Amino acid sequence: MYQSAEIRNGLKIELEGYPYVITYFQFVKPGKGTAFTRVKLRNLLNGNTLERTWRSGETLEPADIEEFTMQYLYNDGEQWFFMNQENFEQVGIQKESIADVTPWLLEEAMCEVMFYKGRAVSVVPPTFVELQITYTEPGARGNTATGTNKQAVLTTGASVGVPLFIESGEFIRIDTRTGEYVERVGKK
Amino acid sequence: MEEQLFALPVADGYLRTSPEFACKRVVAAGLPRIYDLGPCFRDRERGSWHGREFTMLEWYRAGAGLADLMDDVEALVATAANALGVDAPAAWRRVTVRDLFLETTGVDLATASASDLSSRDRGFDDAFFRRFVEDVEPRITAPTFVRDWPASQAALAQVRDDGPWPVACRFEGFLGGVELCNAFLEVVDSQEQLRRALSVNAARVAAGESPHPVDMAFVEAVGRMPTTAGIAMGLDRLVAALCGWDGIERGRVG
Repeated sequence: MYQSAEIRNGLKIELEGYPYVITYFQFVKPGKGTAFTRVKLRNLLNGNTLERTWRSGETLEPADIEEFTMQYLYNDGEQWFFMNQENFEQVGIQKESIADVTPWLLEEAMCEVMFYKGRAVSVVPPTFVELQITYTEPGARGNTATGTNKQAVLTTGASVGVPLFIESGEFIRIDTRTGEYVERVGKK
Repeated sequence: MEEQLFALPVADGYLRTSPEFACKRVVAAGLPRIYDLGPCFRDRERGSWHGREFTMLEWYRAGAGLADLMDDVEALVATAANALGVDAPAAWRRVTVRDLFLETTGVDLATASASDLSSRDRGFDDAFFRRFVEDVEPRITAPTFVRDWPASQAALAQVRDDGPWPVACRFEGFLGGVELCNAFLEVVDSQEQLRRALSVNAARVAAGESPHPVDMAFVEAVGRMPTTAGIAMGLDRLVAALCGWDGIERGRVG
């Protein structure tokens, strides 16, 4: 159990059947009353946020959350397999749990994987990845206008908007937080 | 001293949590209008609007009532705004805590029990304060004097029981959503003063805290005070609220 005095940003607690992370807290003490801590929390499973107060002396239940750095190995179409870099155990994660990041997963990439009650619930890939373009419409020569985009298909199957001067076969850097093109990188 | 105040211990005593006791002894000795301005210290209070050390302004007016102190606060805040070169706040509202709860939560404090206020607290005061912190205080955005608090939260204020429920003759002033000041129509009866001190200590011992020392010279002095209204204002908060800062840290010197 955590004491209310231990409340801090990043603390992960169990509340009404969900794991939450504390994203904001403020000490408040009404004129003649006991101290409270006003807390904002984010649900680690669905991203919903809520606000709660804890009175001085109340306790908080720790969430059964574990986080590991894991290396992505391969997938069989149903499960994506990762290796825990601490104990070298291999873990398969169901496709639906990580559908939002599979377009950015390159083999051997180091990811931050979070488990809730032993079940993997989120995978955070490296912030920037370099991926090769398998196909994009040939650009008009000499067209260097910025702000105009075309679609490019990557080796992972993902589709992103790229500037007109980018061509098939080139490597580009993607920001995995937004899924957006950052820049062209030298051919490998 | 109040149940929920914790003094900072030093070599052979404690740092003052407020100048209240000393001020009242001066009023009891015959000076009718006095003030004290200086540092105060409170343990276990850390946050954006709380510091272990802060600057408090207290003033006492013999023969005055709470409405006089509200007038004082309005004038002082306007003067301070002018000195800081910021806009003076909007007109102050004066409201009872009962009306404020009715307005923001629909709960009538005159008849409510702890469970009407919160399902997580057994005692009335804890339930009251949780609801206050969660639903009432965030809605006090305009400058507001909130008066007539529950009698159980009287501290050293007189209690009046001639209305729908017994209330403490107290107000708190809120500026920029933050509690700026706290005023009492002071207890001026030694017996009552002693009874309050002992009841605070009983509650502290029951909660596993050490009792406050009882200052008998102060208890006796209270009986010699004329009718007096007194107020304490946090100056760090005054400056921060007027300047629109998000806490008192930015105003610290050194």
